[in-house]
Amino acid sequence: MSNAVTLEKILAFVVDTYMVEIEEIPLDESLIDEGIIDSFGLIELASFLEKAFIIPITDTDLTRDNFGSVNKMIALVHRKKSNA
Amino acid sequence: MCGVFGVLGKNNKNSKVVVLNALSRLNHRGPDAWGVYVNNALGLGHTRLSIIDIQDGHQPMDSDIGIISFNGEIYNYIELRQELIAQGYTFKTNSDTEVILKLYESIGTRCFEKLNGEFAILIWDKKLERLIAARDRYGIRPLYVLLRNESYFFSSEMKAFDTLDNYKREIDPQNLFEHGLLWNTLADNTVYKDILTIESGTFETFNIEGRIAKERYYQVGESFSVNDSADSFVNAKKAFKALLNDSVSLRLRSDVPVGTYLSGGIDSTIISQLVKNQTNHTFKTFSVAFNDQNLDESEFQKLASKKVNSVHHEVKISNRDVDNNLLKTIYHAERPIFRTAPVPLHLLSNKVKETDTKVVLTGEGADEILFGYDTFKELKILNEWKSSNGDSAAIEYLKELYPHLSHYADARQFAFIKMYYEGFLNDFENEFNGLNIRLANNKIIEKYFNKNLGLKFDKTALLDKFKTTLPANYTSWSLLQKNSFLEIKTLLQGYLLSSQGDRMAMSNSIEGRFPFLDHRVVEMAFSMPDDYKLKGFDQKYILKQAFESEIPKEITNRPKRPYMAPDLIAFIDSKGQLSDLASTLLSEECIEEYGLFDTKIVKRFLNKFKNGVPENTGYRDNMIFMFLLTSQICQYWINNPPEVELDMNKCVVDILDI
Repeated sequence: MSNAVTLEKILAFVVDTYMVEIEEIPLDESLIDEGIIDSFGLIELASFLEKAFIIPITDTDLTRDNFGSVNKMIALVHRKKSNA
Repeated sequence: MCGVFGVLGKNNKNSKVVVLNALSRLNHRGPDAWGVYVNNALGLGHTRLSIIDIQDGHQPMDSDIGIISFNGEIYNYIELRQELIAQGYTFKTNSDTEVILKLYESIGTRCFEKLNGEFAILIWDKKLERLIAARDRYGIRPLYVLLRNESYFFSSEMKAFDTLDNYKREIDPQNLFEHGLLWNTLADNTVYKDILTIESGTFETFNIEGRIAKERYYQVGESFSVNDSADSFVNAKKAFKALLNDSVSLRLRSDVPVGTYLSGGIDSTIISQLVKNQTNHTFKTFSVAFNDQNLDESEFQKLASKKVNSVHHEVKISNRDVDNNLLKTIYHAERPIFRTAPVPLHLLSNKVKETDTKVVLTGEGADEILFGYDTFKELKILNEWKSSNGDSAAIEYLKELYPHLSHYADARQFAFIKMYYEGFLNDFENEFNGLNIRLANNKIIEKYFNKNLGLKFDKTALLDKFKTTLPANYTSWSLLQKNSFLEIKTLLQGYLLSSQGDRMAMSNSIEGRFPFLDHRVVEMAFSMPDDYKLKGFDQKYILKQAFESEIPKEITNRPKRPYMAPDLIAFIDSKGQLSDLASTLLSEECIEEYGLFDTKIVKRFLNKFKNGVPENTGYRDNMIFMFLLTSQICQYWINNPPEVELDMNKCVVDILDI
């Protein structure tokens, strides 16, 4: 799966779930700090990533290094995929 | 408890008609009697709920020096009256109203700082030809001002302005956004254009030309000094208990029966216990119960009732009750709300009325003054986390926050919570730490507004505006004292005392009294060291210690739970079908007609619930739904104001002074 496809899927989820337009979603900023999601949104996002990309997310994955921006989430997905 | 109305200006030929029309909309605040006073410049009106000096004490009350229309209670009126009599003043009635009038005669506008109680007061000074509009220290009783066509209109509730010729209330989108962010509008703004509020702790002076002056006679924390040596905990506990007892004693002054609300929490249980200690008769207690066991606290309410030996009444609330009564609730609240919790209180005050009780004491204010909210814990945790460079054991306490939210409970989710709170560490240095989390959670509503309104979240501008409202000694306060101030100025005044307090009680002509908001109690609590109030992470510590032996341990030791009612699930069934109210007011046509919100975004948001409300729906979706729906309801009432008739047989004062 290419980065572009992963990006498209994540953005579509964020648009449908958090009522923002695609152009309003920053790729390198935290969605929490930007106010797009709250703590509950993080749980929804992690659950979405597990289901949409069929990857396991463990407790140790739950850090800002992995969830701190859309680009970081894309990197997480690809790392998990390549380790699978 | 009552309703007041006034009109001041040059073009007041029909003042009496204007006042009578307006009073019809304030009838629920004072159904026992009404009165009107008119002179060349002024029209003054009053609707009365008789509580003290039922036979006399009618308003507007006239004297040689002035005329007064007053809503509220002055609890120390007996002592003030004795002082005035000693100075040579004589009284015609036994009312607190006449005490205010004579006190004004004696010391002018310095009278307000002498009053212990809650009030919205309009006094016309006959000699100076000035109208003084004053409001109590914490904004318990409402008072609004509208400037229109070179006249000033004053009212306890804004709906009375709807009776003015060729006037229609208009929502101010910028202020609505601010209200959505903070749960209150700042300074003297309201969510409506051209309508201002008299700020708590201030009075304003007007003459026929306009507003002359605005003065503050009280500010939260005014008696705090960092140089004061702290009293020992034991002494502070004793003094606080004695003062709270005195506050309850003053608030039992009434010529009609007084009851209490029991939430099942510590604050209202303590107030009820103090009432029991001071009365030699059985009194009534009132509670909200829920069909939904996740929300219901009746087990603790019954325990408290048994302890104080009260005659207990409860109103059991279903999801349908919430849906059926939201429209009427917002008619009274006059502003959007973010959770449905006021609806059951509207129904509860109806139950109080049915039992022939007019006055209830409640526990409001304790969480703000004694660090009872989790925001205090959050700040303490973030502060220690920040100062320890992320290595503090305090982080573990995050797990203790919000036990009512299931997703905070298990270990895996702890990582999510940590990630979430980490973001606030970067923004921890400003003067408004207590608002950071609320603003972060609420700023998403910007996306829901109609794009044509051009609303943008500007945190710097908002905080700059807030800065203008702060007292001079704010910077000398501790982090938690600052948060106490912020909670009082936003959540308490803008939501708990108004939407959930005064308006829901007055919707059924019931008066709420708040012993924790006696200014002596507030100031004593404010000046205590932080760890008397939040000991480690034990909230309201001094209060629990003071009453440890008097109230059931099950209540003292239970985890704090915010009072909540069903939100989304009251309006969307398991098949995703919206209730009639929600489907009408959130329809594409209605959103477009009212123009406040973006039709596409609202539609997309509602689509999230097309298969019903997911079991684990978070704070934000509930908040957004309620904000959207109740903002629409505010506009609905602007467009469809109800006609209310004033009972002409209940006129007790009719003075033409021309």
